[in-house]
Amino acid sequence: MGIFIEDYNVSGADTVALEDSIMQKGKQVTAGSKILDNFVSPFNATVVDRLLDGGFKISGRTVMDEFGLLKLSHDDNNTPSGAVRAVSEGISAYALCNDLFGRYREEAPQYDCCYIHPTYGTVSRYGLIPLASSLDQIGIVCRDLSQGFGLLSHLAGKDPKDGAMFPDSKYCYGKTDEKITLGIPRSVIEKADADTRESIMDFINKFSSTDIDLEYFDLYSQVMYILSSAEISNNLSRYDGIKFGYRASGYTDIDDLYTKTRSEGFGLDAKLTAIMGAVVLSKDHYGPYYEKAMKIRRLIKESINFDTYDVIVLPCKISDDPYENLALYSLAPLAGLPSVSFSYKGYGIQLVAGVKKENLLLSTWEVSMA
Amino acid sequence: MPNIEDYEAMTKISLSEDEKTIVSGYMNMLLDSFKKLEDTDVSGVVPLISVLDVKSPMRDDVAIKTISREELLSNAPEQHDGYFQVPRTVD
Repeated sequence: MGIFIEDYNVSGADTVALEDSIMQKGKQVTAGSKILDNFVSPFNATVVDRLLDGGFKISGRTVMDEFGLLKLSHDDNNTPSGAVRAVSEGISAYALCNDLFGRYREEAPQYDCCYIHPTYGTVSRYGLIPLASSLDQIGIVCRDLSQGFGLLSHLAGKDPKDGAMFPDSKYCYGKTDEKITLGIPRSVIEKADADTRESIMDFINKFSSTDIDLEYFDLYSQVMYILSSAEISNNLSRYDGIKFGYRASGYTDIDDLYTKTRSEGFGLDAKLTAIMGAVVLSKDHYGPYYEKAMKIRRLIKESINFDTYDVIVLPCKISDDPYENLALYSLAPLAGLPSVSFSYKGYGIQLVAGVKKENLLLSTWEVSMA
Repeated sequence: MPNIEDYEAMTKISLSEDEKTIVSGYMNMLLDSFKKLEDTDVSGVVPLISVLDVKSPMRDDVAIKTISREELLSNAPEQHDGYFQVPRTVD
């Protein structure tokens, strides 16, 4: 599979590739799905306007998994995403994506790149094709976190067109002189392979640290899947062949139009997610699944207090099973926290900090790279 | 195990036989894993709907034009006289 759906053939240190879920006025945007065949965006996403205002050039639209959904099968896991490849192969200096399920955070370090997942509510999602609205956040693939945070400072800030944002109009990301203490969830790190553990221990030795317990870690994947599938199922309901996108032919009535369009337009992952979302929201399952997951989400958020530590260290992989790995990438979106991933001595490390504490992530990375 | 046909109807998705086998398999796996939630005590816990502690911003109640009719219709699969064209919905 190629890198770009549409390559604009520009190069340079100021180029940014866009995952095909971020709208550009007058350009097709499909979110990797047949259901958005031939959809041409009538407006720019706010991040696109801010890129252009900041003098950056859009290098193209990158190939992506359908809607960025979690692929539960183990197939295709070795093919890097278009966004990571664009940056890794030097075609684009940066790429923007929505990394809901951790694909980019896991992949970026494998290809000598970094990923920044900003605090929820700091980067406008206006013009991002929505997946799970309480979890979505546009992030950055980059070669170097200091450069990535430089780009982020152009993108982050209040947007009246996104109703779920902090009031800050600008964010400045820079080093901090604060002494950083790492939080080490040993029971999680022990699930990684031996080489990754050794790399993480070497990383930790550069800092003060304290052992922590991620109390609900064994429920992270379940809570993330339940809540995201419910929201995604709802967001996918807009794809009905009526106002935009793919419309099937040969239908007999309106109901048949909906069903044929969605059955032909969605891939298997979209169908599974739509159905699972409907299951967890249905009358018999809403209480034990969706409502319970929302309550556990609060417990998860409140269990992370950053009182005795500043930054949590996590591996980037604990399993070949994507569902099990999802646990590593769920804390940040569930609790609205920022995280970064990068390669340290050849192995992926993920850091998670408190709300709007991206400076601590940058500083931790810089110390480790010194 | 929920009846998959009910959820096909609910989501307006019709699965092929092969897809039904695959989706049922994943559904079983996921529902089995969701049983882990049963042992967690959530007494007195308020559901978390949004991580943001900010109120939704309100704008002035003044009519504004954000997008033209032409732009809205520009992606319509079928349109007629400035309207989205769909099959009959009322008998």
